[in-house]
Amino acid sequence: MSHDPTPQRPPRPERPPRPEPASRPERPLRPRSERPERPERSERFAHPERRPRPRPERADRPPRPDRPDRPPRPEQAERPQRPQRPVAVAEPPRRPRRRRPPRLSVERGIFPKLGRNGRLALLFSVLTGLLSHGYHLFRYPLYLTDEGIYMQRAWSLVRETRLSPYTYDYDHAPAGWITLAGWAFPLPKQFETFGNAINTGRFLMLLVHLGAVVLLFEVTRRLSGSVLAATIAAFFFNLSPIAVYYQRQVLLDNLMMFWLLLALYALLRRETTIRSAFAGGAALGIALITKENALFFAPTFMYLLYRRIQGSPSHRFTRALWPFAAAAPVGAYVTYALLKNELMPSGLDFDLANPPADHVSLLYTLWWQIHRSQGSLLNHHGLLYTSWLPRDAFLLLAGMATMVISLWWGMRKKRRDLGFFVAGTLAFGYSFYLLRGSVVLDFYITPLIPIFAMNIGMVTDRLLRRPALRRLLGRMSSKVRIAVPAMLAVLLLASPSTGYLLTVNTEGRVAVADQYQSKLALTHMQQAQIAWVRKHVSPKARIIMDDDMWGELHDVHPFYPYAHSHWNASSDPALRDKLFRKRWQNVDYIIMSNKMRNSIHRNNGDGRENWILAALRNSERVWADIRGGIRLEIYRVNK
Amino acid sequence: MTAIVYLGLVLISVLLTVQSAHVLYLMLYTWDRADAERKARAPDTFVAPRLSFSVLLPARHEEDVIQTTIDRVVRADYPAQLLEVFVICSQDDTGTIKKAEEKIAELEREGLHNVEVVVFDDKPVNKPHGLNVALPHTTHKVVTIFDAEDDIHPEIFRLVNTVMLKERVKVVQAGVQLMNFDSNWYSTLNVLEYFFWFKSRLHYHAHYGSIPLGGNTVFFARELLVRLGGWDEHNLTEDADLGLRVSASGERVRVVYDDRYVTKEETPPTLGHFIRQRTRWSQGFMQTLKKGTWKQMPTRKQRWLAFYVLAFPRGQALLGLYLPMSLGMILILKVPVLIALFSYLPVLLLCAHFLVAVVGLYEFTDAHGLEATPATVVKMAVAWFPFQMVLAYAAVRAMRRELLGRHDWEKTQHVGAHRARTEEADSRVA
Repeated sequence: MSHDPTPQRPPRPERPPRPEPASRPERPLRPRSERPERPERSERFAHPERRPRPRPERADRPPRPDRPDRPPRPEQAERPQRPQRPVAVAEPPRRPRRRRPPRLSVERGIFPKLGRNGRLALLFSVLTGLLSHGYHLFRYPLYLTDEGIYMQRAWSLVRETRLSPYTYDYDHAPAGWITLAGWAFPLPKQFETFGNAINTGRFLMLLVHLGAVVLLFEVTRRLSGSVLAATIAAFFFNLSPIAVYYQRQVLLDNLMMFWLLLALYALLRRETTIRSAFAGGAALGIALITKENALFFAPTFMYLLYRRIQGSPSHRFTRALWPFAAAAPVGAYVTYALLKNELMPSGLDFDLANPPADHVSLLYTLWWQIHRSQGSLLNHHGLLYTSWLPRDAFLLLAGMATMVISLWWGMRKKRRDLGFFVAGTLAFGYSFYLLRGSVVLDFYITPLIPIFAMNIGMVTDRLLRRPALRRLLGRMSSKVRIAVPAMLAVLLLASPSTGYLLTVNTEGRVAVADQYQSKLALTHMQQAQIAWVRKHVSPKARIIMDDDMWGELHDVHPFYPYAHSHWNASSDPALRDKLFRKRWQNVDYIIMSNKMRNSIHRNNGDGRENWILAALRNSERVWADIRGGIRLEIYRVNK
Repeated sequence: MTAIVYLGLVLISVLLTVQSAHVLYLMLYTWDRADAERKARAPDTFVAPRLSFSVLLPARHEEDVIQTTIDRVVRADYPAQLLEVFVICSQDDTGTIKKAEEKIAELEREGLHNVEVVVFDDKPVNKPHGLNVALPHTTHKVVTIFDAEDDIHPEIFRLVNTVMLKERVKVVQAGVQLMNFDSNWYSTLNVLEYFFWFKSRLHYHAHYGSIPLGGNTVFFARELLVRLGGWDEHNLTEDADLGLRVSASGERVRVVYDDRYVTKEETPPTLGHFIRQRTRWSQGFMQTLKKGTWKQMPTRKQRWLAFYVLAFPRGQALLGLYLPMSLGMILILKVPVLIALFSYLPVLLLCAHFLVAVVGLYEFTDAHGLEATPATVVKMAVAWFPFQMVLAYAAVRAMRRELLGRHDWEKTQHVGAHRARTEEADSRVA
């Protein structure tokens, strides 16, 4: 039985450089002759260990001068024989790449090294992100209702150990503001460390963005094998005006995207160990309970995991533990509802026309949200035309186009172009969510930004690598590969119509874009509004306002305990029926944020805000700041 | 007061979570690390037999199985002149002695003269004492121990010969595997314990040089065994104790778990036997902990690891008491939601353990050409909690015996249940 290994044997199969599962299905290399169009690429996916060592093609190589007795190559035989000459004249090997290990295989975790250029590009991307997102972070954009809501809930966690100062009705899972609370709690002045609650939250967004840049860069680089693709992705992620606008805001989507990218990164390590898969699953789970729409990315993750662990000795464990880890945080959320007896609506009544009155319910809210619908996103009054395209049409259109290309490439050669398949389906899954006709808010576009950036980067890189281009440009091709994207970047940055760096202002003159404009300190307007309130309004006053200034009025002395947003005043029984008793006479002041009048009307489908509108009609304006499209006002109710 | 109770609940929950996460990691160690997996495997080719082996077969009331076992060892795929076998019996065990001598006579008729019975008449009558009595009789380079009910793989000696020569190690622990996963309610979980212990966890211990060895299919260079003074006769788990002494002496231990070459065993036939066996192990670990060999290990990590393993039965006893208590508290006391959420963590880990066990079941049956059905999984789910309770009970029992100063040996009975059923499995693996 025993036999000593002979020297001629191929390298011992039991000690490969990387463990390769014995059960892995054989992937025979197709002979080169069958794939004439992209010869050098096919080799990248040939597995070094699986390759039969004594290759018949070896005969292709030119005869080595020290072994003149070797038979000549078949083609050589037809050519006029050259005299055998010493080393210098020997023909250079025709296909040297044939012998190289594959440069990239997402499936097997073969990624090129980051290298010096990569490190520089990464550093550059992070610094760009720091500048684009950090500069004027506290001034632009205006504090938004939702930012206020999340900060007020984080406040409630820190100050009251509750998930919300009002009735928490499971509108969103709480991991996002638990994170915000965890961030604000240890800071020296807690919520006021950076001026006010929202600023404090925004600073965390900056940090999260920087982390996300690193992750996006690495993820894109690993999916495409290209530093250029990663740099392009990071460029859009950092500089697109739509990215800067939403990513500076305290939004659950930003936190969710960070966890999601982390989960993706965990699946793109060289080796998919049980631990890394578990961590990746847990990150996905946290993303899910940060914002539920992470679910639309999950199918891609599952597929990527499946491809990565196929045939590995530990695949059974990984396959079981990844979903387990992802489900664990969701399970905690459900357990929370269960413990509070708020999982099911009372009497298991899911009637949408008749919401449960006695207590809130996780499943009822979920059911309700699934059935919410609003008009198409695509009509001319939809968000796409009114908000998203005007902010950055280039990113959205190019993102859409590259998504289609990624999907095409990825579907056509799923084995080779797994990276494109992943990027394409990620974008597709979320686009499907946006387009399927449910309620979409302005900032729901946020998660799509890094994914579109990824697609643009990867597709651009691949297009610039086309062999046709290479043949056309010859040696120039590598320079062109850098020059074309660089020129595009300069164009985007220099053209005032894009809003990347410059814009055309209302007076028709070219100016620095809003997000970097020193003269435009939008949030200062809101701060002036609050200053006026503090000066002229008694802390005992009953105020209707918007959530964006909630933190200011409830966490900074003197407190305004009776200041509530119109959303809560019109829906929370404790406020509506006890404090205001639905009578306009019980309101003292109305502080109007920008567009608050619209949202009151929009929220008034069932007449729930009528008494607030009545208060507005019986009031006089005592303060206003109106600039451009922004209107901030304060009304005193005359009783 | 309630604050203290809550704090206690949270603390225990967190501690339990950390501990069971760590155990989970150890269970998956070999699968998680490609290098560990590679190291654990047996070599694919064997070198020519060179080392000589003395096989010790301690037996007590093993009339039913001893002849087969002797036969298996003698007919192993290894030159007879490099093997010698000692069946070790106490004088009063005339039945086993008779059966063994019958077998020896039969073998001698075939021209095989390398089996001997060693009989001892002094106290204590237990395995380590028997081994110590037999050790001076051995003459070969490597001493190994098999239990009387073991189904050894015919190529095990070639395997160990290769490993010892090629890797220059003096101690090899080869895999031992219970096979009858489907014979009673606790057998599945018991089988899986062995599977995870030998396939994964022991490799971790070997890697960090702090390893409680198993009781059989363990191979020592004779010279090392003599240097260490043999086995501790007053220890109920002399194997674990010896393992730690080997580790303390700085000797490297190579663990080989290759599904193909494991020594096959059976789970104890009745719950009573199972509890007695487990009590003995738990008590043995407690003894070993008290003895303090672990304190002599060179590095802190080794000491900690040894302590961790040895102290585990005590933890298990406490855990057994804690689990019903915490359940009761959560249900009766109406704990605040946040506190209750903390107790979600250990539950989560419990689920993870179960999940890993289910996957392990399929890994195990797959490796040995057996078949697990969803019914087995359901049975496992039902048996899970009672099984933990049985373990906790055994640990409590061990603690009581230890406190009462009872150190006698409660022997496990063997009926050879695994033999009939594993013959078939063997052929499928081959």
